[in-house]
Amino acid sequence: MIGTLLAKDLRRAGRNPLPWLVYLIIPLCITAMLGLTFGNRSEKNLLGQVRFALVDEDQSRLTQLLSRALGHGFTNESLTVVSLDRAAAEREIRASHLGGAVVIPPHFTRDYFLSNQPVSLELIKNPAQSIHPAVLEEAGGMVVAVLNALDRNFQADFTEWRTLIAAPVEAAQAARLFKETGTKLKTFGQYLDPPLVSYDRSQAPASTAKSGPAFNLFAYLLAGMAGMFLLFEAVNGMSDLQQELRLRTFARYQTLHAQTLPFLAGKMVFTVVLLVLCAAIMLGGGALVFHIHWQQPLVLAGLVLSYAGFGAALMAVLVALMPDERQGNVLSTIAAMGLGLAGGCAFPAEQLPVFFREHITCHLPSYWFVNTVRQLQAGGGDGLWQLVILKLLLITGVLTVLASVLFRRRFQLGGQG
Amino acid sequence: MGLLSIEQLTKSFGPVRAVEAVSFKVQAGEIYGLLGPNGAGKTTTISMIAGLLKPDGGDVMIAGNSIRSHAQQAKAIMGVVPQELAIYPELSGRENLEFWGRMAGLSAADARVRTRELLEALTLTDRAKDAVSTYSGGMKRRINLGCALLHRPQLLLLDEPTVGIDPQARQNILDFIRGLRAKGTAILYTTHYLEEAESLCQRIGIIDHGQLLAEGTLAELQERLGGDRVFVLEADFSGARPETWGAFQQHFRTIKLTERQLVVAAVGTREPAACLQELLALPMRVENITLKRPSLNDVFLQLTGKDLRE
Repeated sequence: MIGTLLAKDLRRAGRNPLPWLVYLIIPLCITAMLGLTFGNRSEKNLLGQVRFALVDEDQSRLTQLLSRALGHGFTNESLTVVSLDRAAAEREIRASHLGGAVVIPPHFTRDYFLSNQPVSLELIKNPAQSIHPAVLEEAGGMVVAVLNALDRNFQADFTEWRTLIAAPVEAAQAARLFKETGTKLKTFGQYLDPPLVSYDRSQAPASTAKSGPAFNLFAYLLAGMAGMFLLFEAVNGMSDLQQELRLRTFARYQTLHAQTLPFLAGKMVFTVVLLVLCAAIMLGGGALVFHIHWQQPLVLAGLVLSYAGFGAALMAVLVALMPDERQGNVLSTIAAMGLGLAGGCAFPAEQLPVFFREHITCHLPSYWFVNTVRQLQAGGGDGLWQLVILKLLLITGVLTVLASVLFRRRFQLGGQG
Repeated sequence: MGLLSIEQLTKSFGPVRAVEAVSFKVQAGEIYGLLGPNGAGKTTTISMIAGLLKPDGGDVMIAGNSIRSHAQQAKAIMGVVPQELAIYPELSGRENLEFWGRMAGLSAADARVRTRELLEALTLTDRAKDAVSTYSGGMKRRINLGCALLHRPQLLLLDEPTVGIDPQARQNILDFIRGLRAKGTAILYTTHYLEEAESLCQRIGIIDHGQLLAEGTLAELQERLGGDRVFVLEADFSGARPETWGAFQQHFRTIKLTERQLVVAAVGTREPAACLQELLALPMRVENITLKRPSLNDVFLQLTGKDLRE
C-alpha cells in the first residue's frame, strides 16, 4: 500500500514540481552568493589572489627603486601588486579590480630614517570586498612591525643609510655600509636561529589516520543551508497532507480503511523520498559546483535520511494540530525557520547568544544534524553521528505516533478538513 | 435484517444535536433516499455510517458488522461517494480509478481491468488519459462515483452525488445508479432534490434538524396527508382563521397557510367535486384553486411546516 501511495504522490509532485524546485534552487543560490562573496572558488587557493596597488607619493630613491622594480606589476599565486598613482588606484578600487591600495606618503623615507617623528603608511581598503582588504591590513601590520624592529635595532646606521638614499655616494662608502649592516644582521640572526624558545607541531591521533580535510567555506555554508531548506521542503511535502484533507481524499481513504497510520506513513515516506532527492541534488550538486569533497558520504546519507524522517514527522504533527490549511502552512514555515536559525543553520551556532547556545540550540535536531555534518567535514564527528542518527530516528517514531493519534482524534471530533 | 441497519444513531457538536436517534434499514437491491434540506443532518449521518465520525450513541451494522467494533470488515463491503469531489485533479481519470482500486484492496491487474470496465460504463473511455482538472463538472462527478465502485461494494453511500451539474449529466448518473440497484447493490442516497428522491428511491426517509420525521415508500408518505389529493387555493388570507370556518378542519388538513396561499389535503376518501364545492364556499374571494397529487414537498411541508425548497 505504501508503494501505491508513494507512486501516486510522486506522480502528482511530478506534474506540479515548481514548489519543490523553488526550495531546491534557493539554498544553492544562497550558498553561491555567500561563498563567492567571501572568496574565490579555486580548490588550491581558497582565499583567492589578493590584488592591491602601491602608491608612491614619497618619490624617494628607495621608494622609486621599489616602484621601478614592480614595473608592470608583481604577480604570484596569491598576490598581485601594481604600482599606480592615487587617482588610478582609487578608480581601480571603485571598479572592484583591487582589494585595496597602500600609499607611501610624502617624506616617509626621510622621516623614517631621521626617526624624529612618527611616520605612517596609508591603507585604502575596498569596501565592496571583505576578506582581501582584511588580509592586506594584516600584511600591512606585519610590514609596520618589521619597520619598527629595524628602527629600534639599526638606529645608529640610519643616518648613513639616509645619506646613501638621498644622494649618490662613493661605491666604497656604500660597500662599507652594506657590509657593516650585513654583519650586524648576521650577528642578530644568531639570536633568532636557533630561536631561544621553540615549539613542536603535533597532530591529534584521530587526524593522523586521515588526510586532513581542508576547510571549505562552501561545505560549511551548504551544510547549514541544507539543514534549513530540508525543513522547508518538509513543510512543502506535508502541506500536501493538508491538500488531501481539503480534497477529502484522506476522508475517502478512511471510508476504506479503519487505520489512518498507513496513509500518514505513505505521505511521510513520500516526503522523506523527496527530501533525500533534494539533499542529493543540493549536496551532490554543491559538491560538483563548489568542488566540495564530502567526508564519509555514507554517514552523511544516513544523517540526511534520519533528518528527513524527523522533518516529515514534525510537519505531520503540525498539520494534525492546525485544522486551517493557511494557518498550518504559516506555523510550519515559522517552525522550520526557527529550528534552522536557532540550530545554527544560517550562521555558526557559536555566534548565538549564550542562553540560546547552552539551553536551546544544543537540544535542537537541526543543530545535531548541521553540527555533525560540519564536524564530519572538518575530519571529526566520529562517535557522534551514530548517536545523532539514533536520536533523530527515535524522535521521528515518537512524532509519527503522535501525529497519528492527533489525526484520529481530530477526525473523530468531526474536523476532517 | 437489512444490509445496512442503523439504530438510534446520535451525534452532537457541542450544544448542537446534529443527529438525534435516527434509525432505518436499507435492503439489498433497494435505493433508500434520505431527503432533507441543507443542514438537516444527512451528511453527518452518512459520515457516521462510513466510519468518518464517531457516533455519540447508537450503532451502525453493515451486513452484521458493527462499524464500531468491526470497522474494517464493515468498510470492506461499502463504497462511499462523498458530496465533495474526493479525487486528484492532477491525475487522469484512469489513474484516479486505478489508485482507489488499489486502496480498496484490488491487485494491480484487477484494478486495471475494473478501471477499464468502469470507464466504459461511465462513458469516459475517450477522456481516460486526460487530467481530471480538465474534465467538465458532470465528468468529475462520474469519476467521483466510479472511485467508490472499484471493489464492487454491496452497500453504496451516495451523498448528494448530483450537486451542481447540468440535467443531462444528472440523468446519466441517475441511470447508472438504477443499474447498480438492478444488480443488487443496496444504496443510501441523500439529496435535497425532491424529483430525484421521487423518481429514484424505493423508500424515503425525511430528515430535518437531525431527526428522522417519517419514512416509507412515496405512496406511504403521501398517505400521511390523508389522501391522494391536495388543493392549492390562492386568495387574500391575511388575518384568516380556519378554526372559525365551520367544519373546514374536520374535512381538510392544513398543510400550509400564507397570506396568499392555502394548501390543504382532504381528510378521508371524499369526491374532489364535493371538496371543491366546500372550498369555494369559504368566507373569502378565492382567486384560483389547483388540484394536484401530493408531492414529497407537501409531505415535507406537513411534517416541518416549511417548504423544502426554501
